[in-house]
Amino acid sequence: MLPVERIIGEEGLSATPEGLRLAMRLPWYRSLPFSIVEIDSVRIDGAPVDLSDAKVEFDGAVWPLKDLGEQTNAFWFVRDSAFLHIPGQSAERGSEHEVALSMFISPPYIPGMKRANTQTQTLRVA
Amino acid sequence: MTTTATSTGPQTGVTLYSFTNAWLNRKFELDGLLKEVARRGMGPNIEIIGFQNFREFPDVSDEFAEQFKEMMAEAGLSATSCAINSDRFLRPGAQPIDDATLVEYHKRQLRSAKKMGFSLVRYQFALPVELLPEIAPYAEELDIRMGVEVHAPMWAGHPAVQAYGEMYDKLNTPYLGWIPDFGGTASRIPESMLNAARAKGAKESLLDKLKEVWVEPGMSHEKAGRLREWALKEGHEPDHIQAASLAFFILSNHDPKSWAALVDRTIHIHGKFYGMGDDGREEAIDYETILPLFRDGGFTGTLVSEWEGHAYLPDDGFEQVEKHQAMCRRIFAGH
Repeated sequence: MLPVERIIGEEGLSATPEGLRLAMRLPWYRSLPFSIVEIDSVRIDGAPVDLSDAKVEFDGAVWPLKDLGEQTNAFWFVRDSAFLHIPGQSAERGSEHEVALSMFISPPYIPGMKRANTQTQTLRVA
Repeated sequence: MTTTATSTGPQTGVTLYSFTNAWLNRKFELDGLLKEVARRGMGPNIEIIGFQNFREFPDVSDEFAEQFKEMMAEAGLSATSCAINSDRFLRPGAQPIDDATLVEYHKRQLRSAKKMGFSLVRYQFALPVELLPEIAPYAEELDIRMGVEVHAPMWAGHPAVQAYGEMYDKLNTPYLGWIPDFGGTASRIPESMLNAARAKGAKESLLDKLKEVWVEPGMSHEKAGRLREWALKEGHEPDHIQAASLAFFILSNHDPKSWAALVDRTIHIHGKFYGMGDDGREEAIDYETILPLFRDGGFTGTLVSEWEGHAYLPDDGFEQVEKHQAMCRRIFAGH
């Protein structure tokens, strides 16, 4: 996988009091506004995860995933991970899970371009 | 800055975009990357994409601007060009942002670039030409030049380039110019790019069709659509088609000599390249034809080496850039 194709972040998967937290990287060469990012799906050990109450955290800000399209002036710095918070899910610290993430991005200066990115990785819960 | 203006000919430099892989992999922090570029003698003139290397872009604070200037001074580098973006389509599937917001978006980036000490910015054709009269006076006021990047599928003869040329004549200011990107006049698809598609499993029949469609006339996205339709019918995998289609979006095959028409207003150059051969030549772009046009036409700005093989290779780009700069210096020196 090329660096520009990576969408699961180095910080991996961790358990929080509310659920699970998954690190994500932006699959592009430059920072882009969150409004052009679409999280398509997450599967854990093959099972689809309900994202209807998921939230996205970046640099101290938190938005409901369903409102991500409104974030036209919040830029995802291309070197940093953003975090997907998934409530209602649990996993034991230290256990390993196969995580599959799927994401679309539509670069805002190339009309009509929508790129699909998927990545599957076995992660140890931190 | 440390630039010594002893030479009046074209200068060679590098854009940090060449090192996208090392940057995304967090192999370097910004100060470390600048020092590495300086240590390898690739400067002093460099280009930086604001939205790649600056966390605070598009609104850089005074504090960071000062830190950046110190980093550059310490590395002995010169902030030549800051690439800014014309992001109009902030909501996929919806209307582009309104003109006033787009103008302000450019002004924010111009202010940041100026504050950090850059002498020019690269901007993009996604900025509608009729908005230039609102932005150009601001660039003059800030005293920072703006070069629109003539990037594939654009070339000197493209209608959008001609419309900009007419506006440039009308506004008649030295603050506006061109930044050629040689990907628009590639002579062939780089073998390294084809090899990367092969490594993903793309079949020769798909790559043969790609080469055929790539040289046909028409818009890039239409040609990509044509290849896709054919390939799906023939049973090629979507992954292989995506790998092959990259060529449509970053390269086109217009006449290398066509750059002659833009030399006079060229303020900076993107020396786009993909792979240097053992013979000291670029594998897809005919530098031996293109660079003399600028050398003999009186261009005295900087050509920054821009390695884009990171779109399909994991290499860090440093050796490629060294070879590319050596080739450009050789041609600029008339050898």
